[in-house]
Amino acid sequence: MSMEDPIETTNDDASTATTSDSSSEPIVTVRNLQTAFFTEKEVIRAVDGVSFEIEVGETVGIVGESGSGKSVTARSIMGLVDDPGRILEGSSIRYHHPETVENYAEEYPDHTVDLAAAREEFDPADLLEDPTLDASAAEFADAGEPVPSADDIDVADDIDVADVIDAGYGEELGLVDEDDFVFVDRSSADREDNYVDVTRTSGESLRKLRGGNIAMVFQDPLTSLNPVYTVGNQIKEALRLHQGITGKEATEEAIELLEAVGIPDAPQRVSEYPHQFSGGMRQRAVIAMALACDPELLICDEPTTALDVTIQAQILELLEDLQEERDLAIMFITHDMGVIAEISDRVNVMYAGEVIESADVETLFAEPSHPYTQGLLESIPGRQVGADRLSTIEGDVPTPNEPATYCRFAPRCPKAFEACDRVHPESVPVDDGAEDHRVSCLLYPESESEADRIALHDRLGDPESDPEGAGDATEGGESR
Amino acid sequence: MSRWRYLLRRVLLSIPVIVFGLTITFVIVRMGPIDPVSAILGPEAGAAQRTRIEERLGLNQPLWEQYIDFMTDMLVPWSFDLGQSWVIQPGTDVTALLSSYAPRTLWLGFWSILIPIFVGIPLGFYAGLNSNSWGDYLASFGGIVWRAMPNFWLAIMLLAFLRLSDKFLFGFRWDTFIVEIDSLVGQPPLDFIAVTDWVSLGIISIPVGIYFSATTFLASFKQILPAAIVLGSSLMGNELRISRTAVLETINSNYVETAKAKGLRSRVIVWKHVFRNALIPLVPVITNEAFVLIGGSVIVEVIFGINGLGYLFYQGAIQGDFPLVSSLMFIFILVIVSINILQDFLYTILDPRVGYQ
Repeated sequence: MSMEDPIETTNDDASTATTSDSSSEPIVTVRNLQTAFFTEKEVIRAVDGVSFEIEVGETVGIVGESGSGKSVTARSIMGLVDDPGRILEGSSIRYHHPETVENYAEEYPDHTVDLAAAREEFDPADLLEDPTLDASAAEFADAGEPVPSADDIDVADDIDVADVIDAGYGEELGLVDEDDFVFVDRSSADREDNYVDVTRTSGESLRKLRGGNIAMVFQDPLTSLNPVYTVGNQIKEALRLHQGITGKEATEEAIELLEAVGIPDAPQRVSEYPHQFSGGMRQRAVIAMALACDPELLICDEPTTALDVTIQAQILELLEDLQEERDLAIMFITHDMGVIAEISDRVNVMYAGEVIESADVETLFAEPSHPYTQGLLESIPGRQVGADRLSTIEGDVPTPNEPATYCRFAPRCPKAFEACDRVHPESVPVDDGAEDHRVSCLLYPESESEADRIALHDRLGDPESDPEGAGDATEGGESR
Repeated sequence: MSRWRYLLRRVLLSIPVIVFGLTITFVIVRMGPIDPVSAILGPEAGAAQRTRIEERLGLNQPLWEQYIDFMTDMLVPWSFDLGQSWVIQPGTDVTALLSSYAPRTLWLGFWSILIPIFVGIPLGFYAGLNSNSWGDYLASFGGIVWRAMPNFWLAIMLLAFLRLSDKFLFGFRWDTFIVEIDSLVGQPPLDFIAVTDWVSLGIISIPVGIYFSATTFLASFKQILPAAIVLGSSLMGNELRISRTAVLETINSNYVETAKAKGLRSRVIVWKHVFRNALIPLVPVITNEAFVLIGGSVIVEVIFGINGLGYLFYQGAIQGDFPLVSSLMFIFILVIVSINILQDFLYTILDPRVGYQ
């Protein structure tokens, strides 16, 4: 697994990078996700305003040091955040698989918001004048292209009911009920306008998404299988739950799944216990179990970390094959830049609960923009030939226990300047025309002067409005 | 079938353990400071009387001969002979003593194991599943208090309370509740079940007529209940604490998270994935407690006036009734060894990682 490969291909084979240009087919959109843990001592904002999306058949990598909020992001998408953790108001995780959305709309008509109907009922312009609303109209503007200036936009014209909901004012204005979680827009064929919001589901509706649509592979294969049941039993459990297959048929299906993930002697192996499997085999079994539910999105939380390098490569290969076969979207969490280079199409770099840089993998490795990403890449052994000492990023990831009103990386940043301590950097394109490469750093966009850059980030952050980050929400809505 | 072979092996391997245990018993009992001859004769006996008694009991023979006799009597099946009591009830067969004393202890032990299992473990599971809730705090605190109360104190308090139950519980009288019992203490009536008729099929006899009296059963249960609660109190506290920890540990394990990620219902997760794993650490706790009941019942038996094995053993030991004490020790060793085998057997059923080597 060399890191050189993807970087080389950037130059030679630009066509690989163009997958994102085709019409976007998101499977999951995460918008302004905020997950906080309320302990007696403090509020830890483990995930603080994260926005990204994952498209069908795409692998999105999430990298960052320990404690940067990667796993909590994954658990939030699965709805597995336990007490004292909570996903805060204003977050949304939208699941776009059309069939699933359709099924949900049919099954839970009482929890469905029909945007087309809402549009007829409500006039956005009237909504904005609602006296109970204390937000400025500019917040709703789908701010769009590089340097938005709210004053230039004729707000009322541009705003749709969907934008109001996106900005988190749906409930306040009576568009959305507290327990609604399916959002459909019959007038639009666009996948993005039809979704199930995972953060709003609960109980049965959440459980069906879990496993059935979104599956997860955990870090430690040695402990993620129940030691007292056979591997087959645990796979069959998932088959029965989501596909209603039982008995002999289920056993056959389980054997097939084990074969699909490359376990030799599957017919015998299916009735063996986890302790009779090696580490790599167990991870394969866990993957088979995840696939048993036939999910559209597979979240892999450091699936290779506990394995030795040769097995790592095998598992990565397996994931790639399975992705091709089943058109899986994969969210791949790791702190290993080498693995990221190998498997992902797009990378989000996380730091202290925020996505600080987002680009496709070739761009990220060729032109890392955020000082943190640069630091991460420089600290890969063997990347700088001839260097005496491996360079590191001094210090530790801070615990994000207060709202970010400054750059959380500034204390460790070699390029930090005075404004970093008072202005929170927002996600902006690295440069004009580089929409796909976004970075949250006061050094960007590169073409602007320092004063302009600070003013821009300041304005995007909009600190005097809603401290929960409604500003982030509109900003999140704008990314593609 | 390897599980049954494993069981057979374990049974065979337990023979040397039993032999060793008996030897130790012999050494301790025969070489200890207690002199049965003085116990039988009293302090004013002469030397001639002593010699006569020693001769009659066989104590004048060399020690190694006594040892061989002792071991063959106990161990060789065709000469199986537990001997006769010397001091407590001179001349009575130990087997006869056992058959009158043992059922009461078994009855007491049965309930004092069963009650903690059916109260302590469910409470512990509840506390673990709802950790850091008020219910958990209450159960855990109760468990600690329950565990900390000494047997003898709790026994007396409970008796005092039940005696005056009409004052504490607004006229509720424990002694006349459902069935009337004459006294709070005393031996429970065990004649609620009896075989009245046998059919003989060659060498095997099959009981066909069974007499069962619900009233006597209830009276017997009522009589034993306070003693069983007292004897089981610390065990219950123990089981509660350990099952709570076991459940907490299991609930936070990765495979439970995997099960959640699969979309399983929490009922299935608890009953399938948590329950069985949490039982594994409980097995040795429960079986260990069975050992405690054998020796630990003396005080409770004395307070509640139940003439059981514990009481018999204690009397035999302080009065130097060698055959009685060593026979009881032999029985205790057998019980402990079989509980151990049972424990290992349960392990192989619960946890597939335990091999059969």
